[in-house]
Amino acid sequence: MSMGASSREAQVIEQDQFDEQMDAARKTRLNPTLAYILRRLGLFLVLIWGALTLTFVFIRLIPGNPIDALVTQMEIQGQYGGVDTSTQIVEFYEEEFGLNGSIPEQYVSYLNRVIIHQDFGPSLVSYPVPATELIARALPWTIFLVGMSVIMGWLFGVVAGCAVGWARKSRWSGWVTNFCLVTANIPDYFFALWFVFIFAYALDWFPANGAYDASLRPGFTWPFISSMFYYAALPIASSVLVRATDWLISTRSLVVNILGEDYLTYAQARGLKNKNILTRIVMRNTWLPQIAGLGISLGGIVGGNILIENLFRYPGIGTLMVEATALKDVNTMMACLSMMIILVLSANLIIDLLLPIIDPRVRRS
Amino acid sequence: MPFRTIWKSSPKFRIGVIIFMTLVIAAVFHQLIITWYLGPDVNVPEAGSSGAIFQDPSWKHPLGTDRFGRDWLGMILVSLPVSLTVSVLAAIISVTLGSTVGFVAGFKGGKIDTVLRMLTDILIVVPTFPLIMVLAAYARALSTVELALAISIFAWATSARVIRTQVLSLRERPYIELSRMTNMSDREIIIQDILPNMIPYLGINLAQATISSAFALVGLTVLGLAPRGLTDLGALVNLSLSWAVLSLGNWWIFAAPVAVLTALFFGLAMVNMGMEEFYNPRLRGTS
Repeated sequence: MSMGASSREAQVIEQDQFDEQMDAARKTRLNPTLAYILRRLGLFLVLIWGALTLTFVFIRLIPGNPIDALVTQMEIQGQYGGVDTSTQIVEFYEEEFGLNGSIPEQYVSYLNRVIIHQDFGPSLVSYPVPATELIARALPWTIFLVGMSVIMGWLFGVVAGCAVGWARKSRWSGWVTNFCLVTANIPDYFFALWFVFIFAYALDWFPANGAYDASLRPGFTWPFISSMFYYAALPIASSVLVRATDWLISTRSLVVNILGEDYLTYAQARGLKNKNILTRIVMRNTWLPQIAGLGISLGGIVGGNILIENLFRYPGIGTLMVEATALKDVNTMMACLSMMIILVLSANLIIDLLLPIIDPRVRRS
Repeated sequence: MPFRTIWKSSPKFRIGVIIFMTLVIAAVFHQLIITWYLGPDVNVPEAGSSGAIFQDPSWKHPLGTDRFGRDWLGMILVSLPVSLTVSVLAAIISVTLGSTVGFVAGFKGGKIDTVLRMLTDILIVVPTFPLIMVLAAYARALSTVELALAISIFAWATSARVIRTQVLSLRERPYIELSRMTNMSDREIIIQDILPNMIPYLGINLAQATISSAFALVGLTVLGLAPRGLTDLGALVNLSLSWAVLSLGNWWIFAAPVAVLTALFFGLAMVNMGMEEFYNPRLRGTS
């Protein structure tokens, strides 16, 4: 299970999938590009339906009835009495949460609600706030955190990878590469744990909890925004470290390959300055394939980092998911899962459609 | 698996194996170690409760005691085998399952391939950790084996994809055609020609799967969503965080399980890197 496909695998996977789909598209009589687009869109819709069904089946199959938990809770608080009342209450809540009727009926009404109304029902975590609203509150934080990590990790990694690849014969390049090879395989959560220990606890340079200073009110004011970045520093740093090392490795191997090409030797023989070689030829050839990997990483934004959010008590989707699971809040769990899946599938779709446009080599194959 | 050859040629592999084997030996002999330093009549998993809570490290309790007076080093030694067993078991199950699926898909081709490939793609793309969370949180009374199974349900997809690609490329090699011409049955071709070439990939896959499974397990236990009664290193980290030891001042209660976990992942990563470097020379650090 990959917590986020590494960029090296991602490129191979993308090329694979694209080739297969293009082959299938060429077999039809339509314009191949159009056929490819239609095919890809069709696949997207099928996958979305499959994902929604998977989520539904998965959660419904799990034993345990959230209504029972709710009723028990009310019992403890002494809020009702009598058998009639309890039956009515159970029926009411079952209807509220879409749990009445047989499983196929529930499935149809679920699809109906979700696709047409985008309504996942009320949440249990904070009843009666709808689940979609909880997600709307939490999602921006996650996107901020993981988005920053992905982009910064990509930038640092690709630039550093070019530098390391360029200096490939020197000793420091070897050391850095070895360091990155090992670091990239260690999950980012462990770096987060050590960062909390060293920088938040021992040195007290950064805070370890929350998204912003509790005494500030959210808004586009400078104190709030700077507090936001201050609190996000450690979680972002741990993620960036692992991502950057991963990008560094793949960029470096790309650069090393390019530097071995004949046309570069020819360019050097013709007197092209090193600086020009680096910027005009090497970097141009490197950043293009890495863009595809970047797209895939961005798609994995939402699912990732539940653990880091939990460690730093960051109010994102991850923390919401954990709370919902602990409380058996079916609606919120389904909403979170569905949304994560749909976002990942959408990101893949966008990359699949854009990649042939920006990278001519993919088109030609 | 040319274990000795890789051992000789890759320093990363050596370091990784040494670290990993140290942890395995500590796990296997944990009872002996606890009895050795705590005294002969110690009852694990209470691990030598001396009654005094949150003691500082001393000769008797090298890592102090925790909230309930249990010796913390003892707790770590007790949880280590659990972590290792579940991770390795989940890895073995997922690699077996995944390589079988990948093999069938690659070898047979056609419709079976398309269906299996779609299934694998869905499982790779979908964020599986939330699904594992939901699964484990609901099934509260899972044994170690069942937990390993639950983790591997989602983890087999990466193995399947890698093995399938490999089988596809192997299938077209000339010596396979030769074997077909000499009228070898499918089964013989598989066993004699294809399998020996798959072993390096299976080995690397196994190392990678162990890392993923260990991380999934730690993720579950740190969040507190794992089955009750299962004490592993992640659960210890969870406990230390819930006791707010970092604010209380006895930071070693937090640092010790984290250090052991880091060592485990570091060792596994080194083993993984060593094997990958051996089989793929382009990945070597200084090329």
